[in-house]
Amino acid sequence: MIRTDVIIIGGGSTGCGIARDLALRGIPHCLIEKGDFAAGATGACHGLLHSGGRYAVNDPEAAAECIAENMILRKIGKKCVEQTGGLFVRLPGDSKRFRDTFLKKCEEVGIATEELSPSRALDLVPTLNPSLEEAIRVPDCSIDPFRLCMLNITSSQKRGGQILTHHKVTEIIKEHGRCVGVKAREEATSDCKEIRGKVIINATGAWGDQVAHLAGGSVPITLSKGSLVVTNHRITNMVINRLRPASDGDIVVPNEAVCLAGTTSIPVTDPDRIGVDPAEVDIIATQAQEMLPGFGATRLIRTYAGVRPLLKADGGDGRAISRGFRIIDHQDGLFSILGGKLTTYRLMAEQMTDRVMEVFGRKTRCRTAELSLEGQEELSGYPLSNRLKTLEGIVCECELVTADTVERVAGQVGARHIGDIQHRTRLGMGPCQGGFCTYRALGIMQEMGKMTPEESMRMLREFLQRRFKGIKPALWGDQLREEQLVEYIYLGILNMEQVQ
Amino acid sequence: MNAVYDVVIIGGGMSGMMAAVTLAGKGRKVAVISKGDPVCCFSTGCIDLLATGGDPLEGIGTLPDNHPYHLVGKDAVAKALELFRGIMSEEGVPYVGDVHANRGVLTSLGRRKTTCLVPETMEFSDFDPDEYIHVISFHKMKDFYPQYITSRYPNAGHSIFDPGVITTPGIAEKFENRPFLESFLSWLGGLDIPEGRIALPAVLGKSLAGDVYREVSAGCGRKVFEIPTLPPSISGLRLFGGMKNALLRRGIDLYWGRGIYSVEKLGNRIEAVTLTSQGRATRVEGTAFILATGSFVSGGLQASMDTVTETIFDLSAYLPGGREGWFNDDFFAPGHEIEKAGIRVDASFRPVDTEIENLYVCGSILAFSEVMKYRCGHGMAIATGVAAAEACGGLAQ
Repeated sequence: MIRTDVIIIGGGSTGCGIARDLALRGIPHCLIEKGDFAAGATGACHGLLHSGGRYAVNDPEAAAECIAENMILRKIGKKCVEQTGGLFVRLPGDSKRFRDTFLKKCEEVGIATEELSPSRALDLVPTLNPSLEEAIRVPDCSIDPFRLCMLNITSSQKRGGQILTHHKVTEIIKEHGRCVGVKAREEATSDCKEIRGKVIINATGAWGDQVAHLAGGSVPITLSKGSLVVTNHRITNMVINRLRPASDGDIVVPNEAVCLAGTTSIPVTDPDRIGVDPAEVDIIATQAQEMLPGFGATRLIRTYAGVRPLLKADGGDGRAISRGFRIIDHQDGLFSILGGKLTTYRLMAEQMTDRVMEVFGRKTRCRTAELSLEGQEELSGYPLSNRLKTLEGIVCECELVTADTVERVAGQVGARHIGDIQHRTRLGMGPCQGGFCTYRALGIMQEMGKMTPEESMRMLREFLQRRFKGIKPALWGDQLREEQLVEYIYLGILNMEQVQ
Repeated sequence: MNAVYDVVIIGGGMSGMMAAVTLAGKGRKVAVISKGDPVCCFSTGCIDLLATGGDPLEGIGTLPDNHPYHLVGKDAVAKALELFRGIMSEEGVPYVGDVHANRGVLTSLGRRKTTCLVPETMEFSDFDPDEYIHVISFHKMKDFYPQYITSRYPNAGHSIFDPGVITTPGIAEKFENRPFLESFLSWLGGLDIPEGRIALPAVLGKSLAGDVYREVSAGCGRKVFEIPTLPPSISGLRLFGGMKNALLRRGIDLYWGRGIYSVEKLGNRIEAVTLTSQGRATRVEGTAFILATGSFVSGGLQASMDTVTETIFDLSAYLPGGREGWFNDDFFAPGHEIEKAGIRVDASFRPVDTEIENLYVCGSILAFSEVMKYRCGHGMAIATGVAAAEACGGLAQ
């Protein structure tokens, strides 16, 4: 049995942020995550560190939070935040009145804007639609959610925080009407662990209601699926937003070697059963094409979908609901933290941790906004070409990941799955989407004794299925060529499908 | 520059190269235009005829009526494969096998791949699972992990040699260096290996496969075989190298690394194509043209969000329904519907739905070929390449 003070359920940005905050305030804690870090909405988002511009008109409160956090994160997380800057682009036909409101609201909430002429905007991003009317520059950034989670966890681990990934909470233990602990089952071994704590925090995002149910409670969230597509290169070096009310496919974000374009907003009920519909891809591609005319001819290498856990409001669709967050005290030792965004994860963690401190009657103040994220010295940072300095033994040619890095990360606690390696190194996230390097990384992990050849073969199979599921909705053009090649390799040269 | 040929072949893959050799054998003046090195460079180098438990040649009879093999006919398929073997023997890359019997080759994942003709370096790959095999791997080689094999064959051993480089082509090149080969052989000789076969990834020389392979076999006095690896696949490169040499030996003009810039038509005939060029334009004129540009992977077909086009002559391509139906959900399910896409041809390999009279089509761009589903890639390419050449031979006279 593990005894601790605070049990955090959920290893997304919120849960990892709370773990860091608790660690810095000296509170013992244990984080339990059913998959790997950033496996839910955190890892399936746009990777956009919002300036707040997107919400300024309709949700000024969320916008104000975004710009404040944006300024903090770019300071504390230099190696996971790329300061790309962003543009809001107004195309012919887009409302000028919206633009006026946008500028006014941005000023009100404190988002710095700069009005750019079409030619100035085209100087900055030559791939923009040349018929644009104007562009407004905002301090948007690109953020790597996987690294962000790992860096937050580093602070926790350094101070004795216990981290259980690939452990699913199956039960919340209640005694005399109070939540006193949880039971968690390890994915690989099915071993059950009991963890006892004084406070339990439900930071499971889209799974929030399921977890609250384990303690007999519920939470007012509504689930909205957002789908995105990944391009094979950086079609823009700045974040591109459409200057109009938020709608489908109106943001393109550069992220390391690729760009992420999206999103959509579709109500869903089960966060474990989501997929990308080819029609969504068509919408995103068409919309992105309007802002960046080259988009249509760009190879789309992957699609993915995440589920936004939004606060339930009266009426309104997914886009109209506030991006704000709320903490719910279930009055039995369980707290749920709901809503919010990746951009405001730190603020959410701070307020949640403040509540915990109240419970414990302690006064240590939050320092997560002042201290840089720990563990960044190991990262190469931006731009990607920094990684070219270590050219020896590269196994992932797209993202420049070396065999040594794979070995080092595989040696870290908790790294058991190919996904663990991919999230921590970006292996397989580039243009070939792991077509070549996954086989290599699994081979290396297997040689290290991290897994048996059978396990690594099973993971390769699962990886290829998952990869195909992600690629299928956008499979045409040059990506179909690439896909046929990958098929020739795994089904032809390696003859993988025959189960013998 | 203007050049005039009897037959101009567009596409330098297996089908285009076999068509070229066939026509050259009939005394025709032939050109082959290719945008780059073909997909066979990525292949195992083995010739898949048809993956079936029984006689693969007879198995052709069980394929759907619209499969391109039926246009060739069993006897002609067998003859085409013999022609291929003859060519490759001449080039020093002999193939073994029998068109009436499939055989297995061991893959880098320890699976058995069903194929028909194999390069001599893989002759002994079809071993009895009870027999001892000793796998030689190379230190830090990034595309070969012997545990995938040894874990499946309890009766297998494993040793690691350090070649000083980690890529497949890098190691293969080292094997062409005499002192390196000798140090490898002396290391191998010093190992205490139980009686059985020796397996190693396909790195025994980039081009001099036969020589290095025979020397290693003789040096250790055992049955040795190579295991095909991920691209860049050395055994695939040897197949391509052998074929390309055969073309050069026959005086066939190769326009390599050149795309088609424009097509000239006169009435119902194609007169010439102009090639993309860094310098002066090259115009290539022909009496007949053969289209052998391959499927999607090779760029012969191009899919957009909702349609499929043929990239050189804009021929109408057969399309299996809308995009939702192109793929199975299961990556490993045999054959996605999109594999049926391609050019439909008549009995003499001329595209239907076009007025053009002097154009022939062969290889995996043919509709209904479904090479992954039936595992018939190189076999179908060789057979239809030869057959399309036979069909256009008369016209080009």
